[in-house]
Amino acid sequence: MNKIILLLFFLTNFAGIDVKQDQIIARQGQISFFSYTSVENIEARNNQVLSIIDLSKNEIAISMLMQAFVFKKSLMHEHFNESYIESDIHPKATFKGSIIDFDPLLEGEQTKMIKGFLEIHGISKEVEIKTTIQNTNGTYALAGEFEVAVKDFDIKIPPVLTSNIAKTISITFRFEYQPYEK
Amino acid sequence: MKNNAHFLFCFFILIGFNTSIYAQDLLETLDKEFPDTPKYEMSTFKTTRIAIGHSIENRKKGVLEIRTMSRFWDIPNNDAGQSFFVDKISTRVSLEYGITDNLTFGAGGTTFDGIFDGFLKYKLVRQQKDTRKSPFSVTLFQNASYRSKRFRSIFTNINKTEEFSDKLAFTSQLLIAHKFNPKFSAQIAPTFVHRSSSAFGEDPNNQFAVGIGARHKLGGHVSIVSEYYYLINPLKSIDTYDAFALGINWELSDVMLQFHMTNARSIVEDAFITQTRNNFNFNDGNFHFGFNATFILHFKNKLKENH
Repeated sequence: MNKIILLLFFLTNFAGIDVKQDQIIARQGQISFFSYTSVENIEARNNQVLSIIDLSKNEIAISMLMQAFVFKKSLMHEHFNESYIESDIHPKATFKGSIIDFDPLLEGEQTKMIKGFLEIHGISKEVEIKTTIQNTNGTYALAGEFEVAVKDFDIKIPPVLTSNIAKTISITFRFEYQPYEK
Repeated sequence: MKNNAHFLFCFFILIGFNTSIYAQDLLETLDKEFPDTPKYEMSTFKTTRIAIGHSIENRKKGVLEIRTMSRFWDIPNNDAGQSFFVDKISTRVSLEYGITDNLTFGAGGTTFDGIFDGFLKYKLVRQQKDTRKSPFSVTLFQNASYRSKRFRSIFTNINKTEEFSDKLAFTSQLLIAHKFNPKFSAQIAPTFVHRSSSAFGEDPNNQFAVGIGARHKLGGHVSIVSEYYYLINPLKSIDTYDAFALGINWELSDVMLQFHMTNARSIVEDAFITQTRNNFNFNDGNFHFGFNATFILHFKNKLKENH
């Protein structure tokens, strides 16, 4: 009896470590967004995006601080945070979803869809994003590009500036993952 | 058997502990992973002036502000008849440049009273978010002004006007502000004004004042602002009033516009804080309409780390 329990104990503990290794994290993920109009091009980049993938369930989560976006013009950084995205009230943008038909064991590159909820400016919206997943010896990297409509997230643009800010913003992302250890 | 029970107990605790980790939401896991760096409050005020006086805000490194500050007013019982728009205009034109993120230099000239001024502004402390460590933003302000114009009436020249050094005045301010919530910020500004000379012996050369100012955001781009400067030891040779302003700030892209109603005719700090000659009301000659227009040029156009 005693030995069985001991065995079970080690098994669960061992299994526990195993499951933990199924989670991979990216701490310096990159997200950039671009707004191209004839009047003005706006570009911003965030190099401190966090992302975690649970390989056992194919679940992915992404979280970033809006204040960490850097702009070419320092005043834009201020306007972005204070007047548009209101980062005092909604400091983060997040994504939570699952990678459809993703096989973690497959080496090389595979293109998959990620389906889930994107939350920006306190508004959550269901999106599907195409991504390429690179698996080299168990090290994963995700990259892709997609577009969001400004009006979907209740971001108010004053009429005078509608020609300066594009109606759809293109977003590129890249995450490089490493095993997650608490 | 007792031993067994002990073991089982440990066993279940461990299982429970493990499962609690697995059950945790992935986003919650990420929340704990954010680096623990201090987060600073941004945009306590948006512009470097609340309305008539300086705010704690500086322009960032490599940013040039081209600024005009104007006051419009009517002359009561004007013999020449009423002008179409206003009788008098005074404008201060200035350039203000961010040498570093914390240090701004500016210089300008005012048309009506002929004051040329230069200032340095240094951001000493920044308010931090979600912590009690640094609840205030503190900025030091120092200006020097030179009054080039001599008024015809001797009584309006409260300083001597013979030597260059007679016409100088210096203003030092400690600007302390707190952003209470995303919409409301307030500032208190202990102020010391030193005038190099006094034409009348009874007038103090050193004057103390306390400025208070606040802004309330109405929307993403519009805020309502107010400012009041309480003068502790006013001039004796002339009657002066405390400067007050109530206005609206409108910030759009590279342009920032400020509209206000005020009783301060002068624009440079030492002059409007100590030598405002009329009270705040809507009578001709007392009511001043103020308009500040700021255009911002960025000289460092690359993606850089800023906070």
